[in-house]
Amino acid sequence: MNRVGKFLKENWLYLTVLVLLILLPHLIGWATDSSPLGVQRGDRFIMRGQSTYWQSVFIELFALAILVMSYNLMFGFTGVISFGHALFFGGGAYITGMTLEFMGLEPTLGLLVGVLLTLGICGLLGLTIGLATLRLRGVYFAIFTLAIAEMVWVFFGRFPATNGEDGLTLKSLPTFIDPTQNRIFLYYIALAAFAFTFFFIRRLVSSPTGRVFQAIRENEERAKAIGYHTLRFKLFAITVASTMAGGAGILHGILNKSARPEYLSVTHTVDALLMTIIGGVGTFVGPVLGAAGLELADVLLRDAKLTLGTTVINVGESWNFLLGLVFIVVVLVFPYGIVGTWHRWRAQRRKPK
Amino acid sequence: MRTILGLLRLFFSFGKWLYSTSAFTLVVALLLIVVGVALYASQGNMATFSITILSGLLRAMLLFLVAAGLSIIFGLMDILNFAQGAYFMLGAYVAYDFQHSNMGVLRMGDSIPDPNLRFVVGVLLAIIVGLVLGFVLERVLLRPLYERPLFQLVLTFGVSIVMLEFIKGVWGTTPNSWTAKLALQDAQFELFGQPFSMYRLFIILAGFIMIFAVALLLRRTRIGIIIRAGVEDDEMVNALGINVRAVFTLVFALGCMLASLGGAVAAPFLGATPSMGATFLLAAIAVIVLGGLGSYEGTAIASFIVGLAWATMEQFSLFTNIGTVLSSTTPMLLLAFILLLRPNGLFGEAR
Repeated sequence: MNRVGKFLKENWLYLTVLVLLILLPHLIGWATDSSPLGVQRGDRFIMRGQSTYWQSVFIELFALAILVMSYNLMFGFTGVISFGHALFFGGGAYITGMTLEFMGLEPTLGLLVGVLLTLGICGLLGLTIGLATLRLRGVYFAIFTLAIAEMVWVFFGRFPATNGEDGLTLKSLPTFIDPTQNRIFLYYIALAAFAFTFFFIRRLVSSPTGRVFQAIRENEERAKAIGYHTLRFKLFAITVASTMAGGAGILHGILNKSARPEYLSVTHTVDALLMTIIGGVGTFVGPVLGAAGLELADVLLRDAKLTLGTTVINVGESWNFLLGLVFIVVVLVFPYGIVGTWHRWRAQRRKPK
Repeated sequence: MRTILGLLRLFFSFGKWLYSTSAFTLVVALLLIVVGVALYASQGNMATFSITILSGLLRAMLLFLVAAGLSIIFGLMDILNFAQGAYFMLGAYVAYDFQHSNMGVLRMGDSIPDPNLRFVVGVLLAIIVGLVLGFVLERVLLRPLYERPLFQLVLTFGVSIVMLEFIKGVWGTTPNSWTAKLALQDAQFELFGQPFSMYRLFIILAGFIMIFAVALLLRRTRIGIIIRAGVEDDEMVNALGINVRAVFTLVFALGCMLASLGGAVAAPFLGATPSMGATFLLAAIAVIVLGGLGSYEGTAIASFIVGLAWATMEQFSLFTNIGTVLSSTTPMLLLAFILLLRPNGLFGEAR
């Protein structure tokens, strides 16, 4: 069989999902009788209707999925644990936002420069943190990332130039990518970034380099004894992951048209960690499923109320608490996540009796 | 060019010195730097200077209470307990709630009319809550995970989130400031004409006593010998016929208890706020990294350095235009510098 046929055979499920996602705004528009472009008023479009609403949900989902996949590259495939991944996520939004607002470039050029700067700085930052702490035991990296993330969070919460707690509003976003005017374009950009990240991580992890990542995760001493310079491989994984998290932050920032200190808060690290574990640590589809499941649950259950006897629990208000409980339960009784458990179940069934 | 190279060489030789010099020299140097900056920040005003040093000592004691548990637990079981900050916060909330029966949730404090006695009971209550919850965390949640150390780290992190959200859910997200009057709090003494609350002085003294009490426990009792042996090699201790797992549980619960005691005694001047857990956790992590992971003496000395540096920076930011950013990030900045320049800390062994 030729290479294209082989590729199609191996990836038919992913490609089907991709086609579905490409058609999604139109499908929703067709099903709910709303235009995927929004409602036209004169020569502008106003974002109203089901289709544009779900587009924004999915852009958010793609940004989160990229964040979670990048986290999984470190935690799931290389075995390096970070408690400050939100640093790159929020940092991405802030660097792009500050480039757009303060450099005074023409918007399109500004966005381009901002994206390049973000990816570069995030990658470099990840590399530096790794260089400083990865020679030591794993726990130092976790501590150091947490400390840096908290420090930057506190800093931007009080930094006057970006309006402290209120955050920076992206006013000079180019019109073609502005989610309040041309959301469908941003949807496709986000989808492209998401698909690229997914296939890139798959390719990377299946490559010889990726095999070394997994060897490090399983037993770093042994990988060292075989003769690999494990520090270099870990640094590479961290640099790639931080760059990707920066990219996710850009998408999140553009969608919300702002860069706020909350993006840097520990909540996003928890999200990434939780979604990775729920979906399945060290699997390709797991992080995406985890991100999709939790994001959709958040959107759908925000106004739900849970009645237990006489007490009524407002799900939206106690969302983080419930997430935390799910987190603990999953770590204790369900450590391989959805996809991991599925793989084990299949492997057990296939075992010859 | 030559000057730049010279400066670089100076910087690197400084780094090398930091890496190789003895812990004692470094401690003295750091303390001298901190006190010097404190003198500069108070602009030669002895009253301000002494108050800064006293607030630094107070900080140091609270930090010690959080960091001691963190450090011993890490040395013994290789778990960095990210929930330690949440226990500190919980202690503060329990003491606060017991004291202020009119705005509390439990509304139990009314049974004791005398506020001073009520405070003592509130602190005892906080200690019990910390002890019990620490026991539960180790026994129920961490014990199944000893085969997977990475997940233990993840789990304590998750527990800290749950506790924070639980506290926010029960007591609300707004900071609660302490309004009850304690006799010790009202009593003041003067230092160079500046008043300082007797209660804070009492906490400093009590902190010193705690440092020596824990040191005595570790050095002079049988359980302390077992703990120190466990820090060296827990499998060997187990092989000698001692139930190390039971010691793990005990130490974990005691560590959480110390943190929640710290929160309870801090409540009268810090109040009870949802952000105090993360603040003190990070500062305590800075302390144990500076002291050297797993070293008790290192933790005790490092709490003084970090506490004094923190208070000094707070004073420093009062008269400069840097604002509060610098003071609130001091522990994390310190942590970053230590990890970059002397990653094994003052008293840590290279691992």
